[in-house]
Amino acid sequence: MATIKTFFSKSGLFKQRICVIKSCIQQNGMSSYPSFYINPIYKKEEQEQLKKEGELSKLTHVPTRAALNDQTCSFTQDPDLNLFTNYCMSDGKKVLARSQVEQTLESIKRLQLEKYHKCKTDEDRAKIELNPKVVFHKAVENCKPILQLTPIKRGGVKYQVPVPITAKRAQFMSMKWLISAGKEKEKPVRFHLQLARELIDASNNSGRVVKKKQDLHKQCEANRAYAHYRWS
Amino acid sequence: MLKRPERFIIKCAQLHNSYIQSLHTTVCLSSQERLQSFRTNEENPLNHNESNTAQFYKLLESDKAKLFVHGGLPKSFETQAKTFNETCLMIRQPALDVINCMKNIDYNKPAVRFVLYGKKGTGKSLAMAHILHYAFKQDFLIVHVPWVGNWMRRCKEQSNSESKEGYIDINLDAAGWLLHFKTQNAHILSKPKLKTSRDHVWSKRETTPKDSPLLELIEHGIARIKYASETVNAICEEIKILSNDGKCRTIVAIDGYNAFFYRITRVFTVKKEPVLPEKVTLTEGFLNLTKFDWKNGVIIVTVDEIAIAEKDQISHLPRYLLGKQGFEHLDPFVPILVSNYTKKEVLSCLDYYKERKWIQPYPGLENEVEFVSASNPYKLMKICASL
Repeated sequence: MATIKTFFSKSGLFKQRICVIKSCIQQNGMSSYPSFYINPIYKKEEQEQLKKEGELSKLTHVPTRAALNDQTCSFTQDPDLNLFTNYCMSDGKKVLARSQVEQTLESIKRLQLEKYHKCKTDEDRAKIELNPKVVFHKAVENCKPILQLTPIKRGGVKYQVPVPITAKRAQFMSMKWLISAGKEKEKPVRFHLQLARELIDASNNSGRVVKKKQDLHKQCEANRAYAHYRWS
Repeated sequence: MLKRPERFIIKCAQLHNSYIQSLHTTVCLSSQERLQSFRTNEENPLNHNESNTAQFYKLLESDKAKLFVHGGLPKSFETQAKTFNETCLMIRQPALDVINCMKNIDYNKPAVRFVLYGKKGTGKSLAMAHILHYAFKQDFLIVHVPWVGNWMRRCKEQSNSESKEGYIDINLDAAGWLLHFKTQNAHILSKPKLKTSRDHVWSKRETTPKDSPLLELIEHGIARIKYASETVNAICEEIKILSNDGKCRTIVAIDGYNAFFYRITRVFTVKKEPVLPEKVTLTEGFLNLTKFDWKNGVIIVTVDEIAIAEKDQISHLPRYLLGKQGFEHLDPFVPILVSNYTKKEVLSCLDYYKERKWIQPYPGLENEVEFVSASNPYKLMKICASL
């Protein structure tokens, strides 16, 4: 929808009648909700916050979308983890994807606890992170790239040009790499176990995915001479 | 039928025992400093009483190696134990009830049958493990079948019986059980008074003569796998005679007992026809042991939905699971319900998980987990796995 709008505004077609056309074409993409519906506030703390500020009474009678099925008020709910589950999912098999991610968290705990019990001193023990969600967040953070290579055609030749990326894109790439690293394994090894190992490695700033990120950065560094093709 | 018949038995028997019990609790409280309420330092199940409910006690590695090395603890529990670096069992009411009964029943009367029943994942097998630990400490002769489903629904190999026409042997499983029986009772079997009562003739050349030790019979079964199933039946028979003579006190513990009465098994004949459970040679021996025509013994069985096919898992009650035939075989018995966790047990379990660094505490954890799992122990474990 956005592309059609920009196309019309750029080309200058239907300049006067753009409002009429706007009203004809559907406003809100494929959504079944009209655009004035607001997103639900499903976290208890946010609701408390609104209550304190007195904003809640204003929102009471505003039409609200229904919460998605992974948006719960539980303390265990984690938007990043939900996103990760969705990236893991194929063919819409969400139940399977969720169970895989849950098993991954379990495997992380088992692996870390095994290390924990092997440690002799308390100092070593304190170093081991036992919270699987912290491990996950650290891993994703450590795997985020800051640049990527885009092919740009100049003078009939395609150059791999380093370009900075947005935070969202960086997060997506990091998660995608982690999942693909989890899939690269011997057949008898389970996906959740391999993914757990990769996540633990990445949270310690080592392992295959972090290596991949560093390789990409090196490639960007090598191609810095092409950087000006971005704008010229 | 009485609603909680086990309570009734305890009440009857408590009269002469109450003095000792009350004395014991006072000693317990004063001598032991309880730093954490979810854990008890009392590792001996002989001393567990009502005040210990919902507490965890440690199963020592030495005891575990003797009792449960060839199965007996559920697989998921074993992985937890490995992760936690120790094996802890929760002391719960059903197991305590059975133990109390076992302390007080008259062993000169016919053997009492207890049936543990309950919904899936409520801890029947672990209650059984607790009782077995008690029996082990009391020097019972333990006849323990870890899971009948493994024989009827997942047997390793099958062959036609040679001695009985139309029967099927599952010899590898039988030999496995003999090994299990031997390891569990290693210290009792070495006693000289356990002897066979008659000659056991296996073939023209192989016989086990009268008055040879029971251990010899077992070792013969393990060495000659061809005769393992028959050996199991022979041992069951011998145990009955020995207990009747008062030479040993026996506990028969069978997990997933209803698989003996479920018509659809996965044991097949050579022509790939399914075999009825009573046509499996092993069944006979254990059905014989669960009759009440002998004394000096106590019989504890669990009936479980998981031991039968998934399509028939309708109810968890003994009458449905055992069927008419099985119910009449066991009747009269003491039914013992293993129910979901109480609030206290949920809290104790979560405290234990926190102490083992298994879950990270967050506000509202207890309420949420209790609600989501509906206090079912197995579901609780599964939910806590990813926290």
